[in-house]
Amino acid sequence: MKPGHIDKILISIFQRTFRSITDEMSISLTKTTRSPILCEAKDFVTGLYDSEGQMLEQTENLPILSFSLGPVCKVIIDQYCNDIHEGDVIIHNDVFTMGNQNNDVAIFKPIFHNNQLIGWSAAKGHQADIGGAVQGGYNPNATEVWQEAIRIPAVKLYERGILRKDVWNLIFANIRLQMVQEDIKAQIGACTLGERRLKALVERYGIEVFNTHKNALFDSTEKMMRAEIRNIPNGVYEGKSTVYYDGKNIGSKFQIKAKISVKGENIKFDFSGSARQTKGFVNGTYTSSCSAITLTFLQIVNPDIPHNEGMIRPLEYIVPEGTILNASFPAATTFGNHLCPQIADSIFKALGNAIPEKVTAGWNHLLCSLFTGTHQRTGRKYVDICFLGMKGGSGAIMGNDGYDHIGMIDASGGVLDQDYEMFEQQTPHLLLQHEYLCDSGGAGEWRGGLGTVTEILLRGNDTTMVVFGDGDVEPTYGLFGGKGSVLNKIELRFPQKHKGRKYLIPLSKDIVSDIPDGTVYYQIAGGGGGYGNPKKRNRKKVMQDVQNGVVSENCAKKVYGLKSY
Amino acid sequence: MNFKVGIDIGGTFTDIIAVSEKGNAFVHKILSTSHDPSIGFVDGLYKISDTVGIDFDKFIKSIDTIVHGTTVATNALLTLQGAKTALITTRGFRDALEMRRGIREEQYNNHYRNVIPLVPRYLRFTVDERIDSEGNILSKPDKKQLLPIIKKIEAEKVEAIAICFMNSYKNSINEKIAVEYLRSQLPRIFTIASFEVLPSIRFYERVSTTVVSAFVGPIVSNYLDNLNSKLRDLKYNGSLLIMQSNGGVVTPEIVKHNPAVTVLSGPAAAPTAGVYYANFLGYNNCITVDMGGTSFDASLVTGNNCATSSEGIINRYRIALPSLDIITIGAGGGSIGWINDGGLLQVGPQSAGSNPGPVCYQKNGNEPTCTDSDLILGYLNKDFFAGGKLKLSYSLAEKSIENKLASKLGLSVIETAAGMYRIINSNMAQGVRQISVERGYDPREFLFIVAGGAGSIHAGEICKELEIPLFIVPNVASIFCAAGMLLGNLKHDYIRSYFTSFEQIDKIKFQSLFKEMKKEGFESLTVHEGVHESKVSFQPELDMRYIGQYHEVQLKVSMDDIDNFNLENIFNAFHKEHNRQFGYSLQDEKTPMELINLRLRVIGETVKPKFSFRSEKTVMLEDAIKGYRSIYIPEEKKMKKVPIYDGDKPLTGSTIKGPCVIEKITTSVFLSNLYNCLVDQFGSFIVYNKSSFPNGYLLK
Repeated sequence: MKPGHIDKILISIFQRTFRSITDEMSISLTKTTRSPILCEAKDFVTGLYDSEGQMLEQTENLPILSFSLGPVCKVIIDQYCNDIHEGDVIIHNDVFTMGNQNNDVAIFKPIFHNNQLIGWSAAKGHQADIGGAVQGGYNPNATEVWQEAIRIPAVKLYERGILRKDVWNLIFANIRLQMVQEDIKAQIGACTLGERRLKALVERYGIEVFNTHKNALFDSTEKMMRAEIRNIPNGVYEGKSTVYYDGKNIGSKFQIKAKISVKGENIKFDFSGSARQTKGFVNGTYTSSCSAITLTFLQIVNPDIPHNEGMIRPLEYIVPEGTILNASFPAATTFGNHLCPQIADSIFKALGNAIPEKVTAGWNHLLCSLFTGTHQRTGRKYVDICFLGMKGGSGAIMGNDGYDHIGMIDASGGVLDQDYEMFEQQTPHLLLQHEYLCDSGGAGEWRGGLGTVTEILLRGNDTTMVVFGDGDVEPTYGLFGGKGSVLNKIELRFPQKHKGRKYLIPLSKDIVSDIPDGTVYYQIAGGGGGYGNPKKRNRKKVMQDVQNGVVSENCAKKVYGLKSY
Repeated sequence: MNFKVGIDIGGTFTDIIAVSEKGNAFVHKILSTSHDPSIGFVDGLYKISDTVGIDFDKFIKSIDTIVHGTTVATNALLTLQGAKTALITTRGFRDALEMRRGIREEQYNNHYRNVIPLVPRYLRFTVDERIDSEGNILSKPDKKQLLPIIKKIEAEKVEAIAICFMNSYKNSINEKIAVEYLRSQLPRIFTIASFEVLPSIRFYERVSTTVVSAFVGPIVSNYLDNLNSKLRDLKYNGSLLIMQSNGGVVTPEIVKHNPAVTVLSGPAAAPTAGVYYANFLGYNNCITVDMGGTSFDASLVTGNNCATSSEGIINRYRIALPSLDIITIGAGGGSIGWINDGGLLQVGPQSAGSNPGPVCYQKNGNEPTCTDSDLILGYLNKDFFAGGKLKLSYSLAEKSIENKLASKLGLSVIETAAGMYRIINSNMAQGVRQISVERGYDPREFLFIVAGGAGSIHAGEICKELEIPLFIVPNVASIFCAAGMLLGNLKHDYIRSYFTSFEQIDKIKFQSLFKEMKKEGFESLTVHEGVHESKVSFQPELDMRYIGQYHEVQLKVSMDDIDNFNLENIFNAFHKEHNRQFGYSLQDEKTPMELINLRLRVIGETVKPKFSFRSEKTVMLEDAIKGYRSIYIPEEKKMKKVPIYDGDKPLTGSTIKGPCVIEKITTSVFLSNLYNCLVDQFGSFIVYNKSSFPNGYLLK
């Protein structure tokens, strides 16, 4: 092939190949990791980047961690400049150098061809523990990063293929669970797979062809994204949402404010008007907030757009330091990923003015528990994020009801519940109920997705519960005449009076320890908001919902105006 | 003379093969009768008796076995035309079936909807009963609770009932109570409990599989009854066996007890046929690929064992029964070429199917497809498609590629068609990679077997991409599955969950669970299916993992190690297998392991036909040249005139040199500059890369 010549067909083939590489890395991680957060819930991402850290492709099981890999890659390239060698493995989690969350630890592997750096493979996953004051990483009492986690700025775990045992030991001396070491090994394994395959591709086509064609792929993708933006009428659109309680001051609330400017093929997301950072751990990092913006916008555009650097080029982000979305050093930030629901709300509300047919009503906001304790039968310690309880409904959209029991918008159905029987094997607890909640889907011409009710009988004498989330103060909103949904709720019902109480409703950021054996954990995850006037809903659908017991007769009459059956 | 007959009824075609005792094989292909496949079944028997040349009444009496592959269950699931089904489950878990653990496969698509549950919520009933995770009974279902449910089921005219209770894999007593009572009260309704279908851990997998079985149950039962009565009317006295998803065959009576075993049986015979061809060439390992109208199936065989997996999904419905591990991707002759908003050419996964089909079929299709580009590139003969039964229009294909694609890409029609060819080949190569590399196997160590009409036009490029030096196009490629069915054994899969750490395995419990499964399988084969004791064998497997992992390795073990309780052998084998699949083991770290499930496959060996497609005489290669045609040569990126061979001529022993096209009535083979081809004594084509075999390919 002549230098500079573009083979259009080869661009398509490169795109498919990049995707198959990141998918293969993802499958390998699913099968080899230990922590259920990784292998069951798939709270990780795999990606390939070029020598400048530009994204070639990603497999995004949980999108909120995805869009921070590229920026970290660029940090690593700057930091090591000429000191990057074949066989190096670099680890990173530091939120003040483009990490998104302390627990989300990334592994990067540089890829070489004829002694020349040609790209990077990377895998980032949410680790079961990351040191700090509280096992599992969610510490509602934290005010500084060191109370949350061990900070790992970019550092080499392997240099030219040789393990730096001292560095390894230093890091893992600060992390509670042995399992995390195994999971990091699995991440390195996945990166090696990606390295091998990208190398093979470049060996086959040569570096010239590789470079010109990946750049052409970026350009083509950018063109797709710009075409999508052109479909949004020019203008400045504003939307607001509220974050409740920073873990420090009960009753505190913080505004998120989106100002979105669309001009031709360009779009700017400006969050300057948002509240100042909080004193607790309810703070975003620059990349967690930009990820939230990106993944929300991706739900508005053509889902077939490939995920590479070209996709994000037309997007401009303004998230000033010192705000709740980009807290200054050394703030606590572990909660930052979970500001995504509010960021998404503000974007959907703003763009609802411009493209009402492309936005959804409000999604259920995450409210989640994490249990730790000892399994009596095996004597083993466990850490379990209760994915089962937390998954509420998505907001409805013009033409379609919301998705039932999908969970937080940052995952959009990419994170799975534990299987019931596996849950009962891995923890000492007995599951009593996990079902859709009647009338939890916000009413509308298009109904919001259903929320759920979960009840678990907690067993064991050393159960500790960490709660993190929101959605227990302000219900999910409906759009264009659609109604909102119910509030999130968690309640502990003690077998007998415990510390003078029969039951306890924890705060939305809280730690409860020494929960007595036999306590019932009760949780409601609310539904999504409805879209359009419920009286206009197809009567057959209303009747079906009543027959299926997901809308009550009372609601069908009063809210949907159903006269007869 | 006695015959064995294979009848494979697919969505479009019904393939029939009859093999005599001497090994003479007769094949026939007719269109399927999808409204009632049994019509095509009987019609096929008449047609094949004509082909054999024996009077029908005499022919039917001479058949000792008919093996039948059916897509009745598959179609019921694809079209949602199954039985009106109810589910009875544990209180508190009414919605697990519909929730599907909360997955949305397209994360960024807010218009993407959940699947329609096979049982609507108002037909999902719960009862107060509970077994805990250790198998203790916390509460039992009572008749008082079941009565109102029965009334509702009758009132709603339900046709099938699935029962699935929490932790029934540990203790099935509550399910037994419920299923027995329901069967006594509602004898006409098809009722099935999860312990009868899949007694293993993971509630969602079990409830989904049980519901699928109930949903297709009445349709499959009725179909098999209908078929049996038609065969009786024809005075057929031989046996009828049905193809299962696991690659084995089974009697219709057993299918009726668990109809879900046929759901993924469509392509299941291909690997079995693949083993047969591979063995003939001295290989134990092979990859079989089948490129049809809408999809491309790839499967893998190691050590003569077809790989099975319990990860089956069809139409987004989960079926956790062991089925052959077959990767299906949306790449077929009907795959449509299109241009995305970024101006890039894409092929598939959308397909024009067989109706309207490719543009060149002249059946009002207007989207350019893979078949259209194959025609433009000269690989297909417009006057000899399906032996000339279907005339292809070059000009329509050309016009459509020009208007829809080439003009937008700024490329010529030939360049665009060549682009489509490259892209679809690359997609298929990724599919082969999934079944091999991603499972820890090197595809270069496998014999690559190409079945299905369009596959042999594309195989050379797929093999080039994966560096596979050799591929085979079997003589009966287009009815590969029907032939494979005659080679299948009776197979039953059993599973018991036994969740324990490896050190704490209780010898008595471990062995008695295996004994239980052995007994069940042995009785089924020897008492009900007429297999002689000496022909019964067992393949045990253990689902194991390192403590703390969530995903198991399905480990093959020997029956001797089970009987002698030789845990050390099993221990070593596990580390080895983990290392093979994932690139590392934790043997040195002494990481503890745990056991999840015990599995036993019980096999009853059937009597196999000996195939003989041996050509009596051969012709000179020059005499097989039909003419010359311009075709596209990928290595040179241009059209070039090459010889076209008549592949239906007896050419045994000849070496055909690429570049060329070999045309048969049922298929075309394209050899680029890279390949030569040896015709073996069965008339199959052994295509080899010249650089890997500089001295040609020699038969062993």
